This record gives sequence, structure tokens and C-alpha cells, in this order.
Amino acid sequence: MTLSFFARLLLLSSASFFIAQLLIGALVAWIAPAAIRRAAFMRPERAARLLLSLRLLPAGFSTLALAALCVPSYFRFEPRIAGEEVGVLCAAAAILGAAICSVAMYRTLRALIRSALYVRECGGLESRIEGEIVWIVPHNAGVALAGIVHPRLLISERAMTGLSHDQLVVALRHEYAHRASRDNLKRLLILLAPTVFPRLRILEQTWAKCAEWAADDRAAEGEAGRSLALAAALVQVARMQSGIAMPPLVTSLVDADEDLSLRVERLLRPAPVKGANLGMEMVAPMGIALLIAAIAMNPASLREVHHLLEILLN
Amino acid sequence: MPLLYVTPQFTIECATVCLIVTVFFKRSAPASSLGHLEACVMDILWLRGESNVRDVAEKLARPLAYTTVMTTLDRLFKKGFLDRRKSERAFRYSPRLSRLDWERQRAGELVAGFLAGPQQSGELLISCLVDNLGHDEALLDELERKIKMKRQELDRGKS
Repeated sequence: MTLSFFARLLLLSSASFFIAQLLIGALVAWIAPAAIRRAAFMRPERAARLLLSLRLLPAGFSTLALAALCVPSYFRFEPRIAGEEVGVLCAAAAILGAAICSVAMYRTLRALIRSALYVRECGGLESRIEGEIVWIVPHNAGVALAGIVHPRLLISERAMTGLSHDQLVVALRHEYAHRASRDNLKRLLILLAPTVFPRLRILEQTWAKCAEWAADDRAAEGEAGRSLALAAALVQVARMQSGIAMPPLVTSLVDADEDLSLRVERLLRPAPVKGANLGMEMVAPMGIALLIAAIAMNPASLREVHHLLEILLN
Repeated sequence: MPLLYVTPQFTIECATVCLIVTVFFKRSAPASSLGHLEACVMDILWLRGESNVRDVAEKLARPLAYTTVMTTLDRLFKKGFLDRRKSERAFRYSPRLSRLDWERQRAGELVAGFLAGPQQSGELLISCLVDNLGHDEALLDELERKIKMKRQELDRGKS
């Protein structure tokens, strides 16, 4: 197959993205069980950061490598001739790359539309509790946070009447914690990050659990009374919810498929909360980004990258 | 020089790859399910039995346009969830399956989908079932009892 200069660039970009995704994804899938075991001994906030970094690493690395290495080296060293042969393997990798990106885009768009429709269906009335704007909705939302840029706090009428004042306040604090750590945006990034390894989905599920625990910790702030109120609120809301699953970009106080007993047991033994610090889980992605930037700034390494692209193309 | 020159052999190879990709993604696609409004409409029909568009629109918790409800009912009919018959000038819709039958069918499809997948999927399914069973009334009662005990313990400590 013979392709023009820009068509080759598109094909190479898609193929390189797929190959980088495959290699880094395999590495992450290999270390995922060890990371999950390690996360069990970490504070939930740190564990959530580690698991999220690992889940987003293949897509993040591939995108960065593509933008900082492949595209610049192509423009710099590729002769602008009209046609050049492209190998079958390169074309197959490009098709697979385009396919996984299309699936990720489709999942993301679907989730965005479903979440927006859910918020619209819920309707509700704007109100203020403890100085914060909340939406009291007639449908059975329990207590939930919906939206990405300006997340909206939804409380069902049943939750408003069924929860005591303490329980309601601490349930809201839990949702504020999700809002502060931008968990809905992280869910969106996870949907956007394509993967070919099912093991990375376990990272997602464990991240979701750690994010809930981290929000519990921030809501309770190590205070026994608040922890008990939150535990009681979880049980009450679990009773109220009808089992209708929430859209992917809506964070609910109680998810239908979570281990509620483990979460409540944890709240009955609150641990003191320490301040968040920048751990190795954030240093590693930054290190990778710096490494790629250093390689990109060196013309000799860009030439090597172009040589690799030539091998891939043919 | 043409922008793109494709040999027959290359076309066959690409078609094979596309077929493999299509089969792979089709297998992992989720089974069709009900949206939020569709689920509300089905709830009304399961509760009331045969109804026309106006009846359903009146029973919805939130006022929606007549045409929105009509489109939703039509979509549910096309998906095979509803039967309909013409009465005077309007259609009357009734559920094709009872709620129990529909839930049984959905559960069957879900379980079959998981069991057809890799071993890990089966394990995940069992884990989720255990978690969901954990939300039953008995367990919630037990958790509530533990919370009460802890609260009493805390109150005793304070006094």
C-alpha cells in the first residue's frame, strides 16, 4: 500500500499509539496485582493516587510519546515525498489503534450523555444546606454528585426526610470530598483511556473503592461521632436505593455493587487522618514525562525515533 | 501518484483484521438495557397494565412532553419490550414480559455473558453477587445493630 505524507503520519501515529499502549499496558497489567497488594497497606488517598496513575499510565505515556517524539521526529526527518510503501503489520496496528480509541471515545460520549440525561430526568429544586447549593430531587438518587466541570449535588426527597441532620451533613461532606478530589473528572479520564488488558479494569475497581474510602476519611476527619453518623447514613441510603445503577459519571454515596459491610466496619474503627503528601505514585509519572521531554529535546534521539518509525512503517 | 493505492491482497488482509476486531468488540459489548426514562415507563406499565401515551405521561413523576413519552413507548415497542394495539385513534401499549420474566431474562443474559468470558470474569461476577447479596435487609439490620452498639460504647466513654 502506498500512502501520501500526511496519510502516513496518521497511520504511523495510530500504529505507534497502539504499540506503546500494548507494551506499557502489558507492563502495568503485570505489576497490577503487586500494586493492589501494596495499596492495601497505604492510606486510601495515596492508594487511590497510585492505582489511578497506573491505570492512566499506558494511555498517558502513549499520548505523550506520540506528541513529543513521534510527530516531531516525523516532521523533522521524513522526506516530503508523495508516496511510500506501508507494511501490512503497520496498517494492522494502525487499525487496532484507531479501533481502541474509537471504543474509548464511544464509551466516554455515551457516559456523558447518560449522565446529562440522568441529571435532566432527576430535575429537582435548588436549595441550600450548610451554605452549599444542593438539588433536592424527587427521584431515588440517595445522595450523589453529578457532573464534571460544575458537579451538582443531588439529594433525594427520601434521603432528606430519612436521614438525621448529623447523617445528612456528614453524607454531604463525603460528596464534597469527592468534588474536591475531582473524582468525576478522574472517572472521565479512565473512560477516555483505552486499554486492551482486562486486568486494568481491576485497577479501576480498586481505585473506585479507595476513592470512596478516601472520601469517607475526609468526611469523618478521624472523629468517632462523624464516622458513626456516616456509617449510619450509608446503611440508611442503602435501604432507600431501589437498585437502579447510577450512570458512570455520577458518584453515589452507596454504589449498588460495593462491599458495604467492609466500608461500615472500617468506619466503626476510624483511623487518625494525616495530611496528604506527594508520594512516589506522583513522582513516577512526572519522572516519565521529564524523561520523554529530555529525549524530545535531543536531536540525536529524535533521529533514532524516526529510524524506529521507518522500521515500523515498512 | 494517487493518494492511496491499495492492492487486492492488502484489501483481503485488512478485511480479515477488521473482521477479527469486529468480532472481538462485539463479544465484549454490553447487552441492551433500559435507560432511566424507559425504566420509569416500564415501571408504570407493569403497575397499571395496558395504557395509552397520555396515561403514561400523567403517571410520570416529572412532566414530560407528550411526544417524548410517545417516542419512548415506540422505542420500547421496537425493542420488543411492549405489545401495542390500536384503540380508536391511539395506540395502547402493554408489557410483553412480566417484570419477573424480564429480570430473569436479563440476569440469565448477564450470567451467560460472564461465564462465556475468561475465568477472571466469572470470579468478578461471583464477587459482585456476594457484595450485592450483602445489601439485603438482614445484613443492613446487622450493620445497624453494630453501629448502635458502637454509639452506646462511645456514649459510655464520654460519660
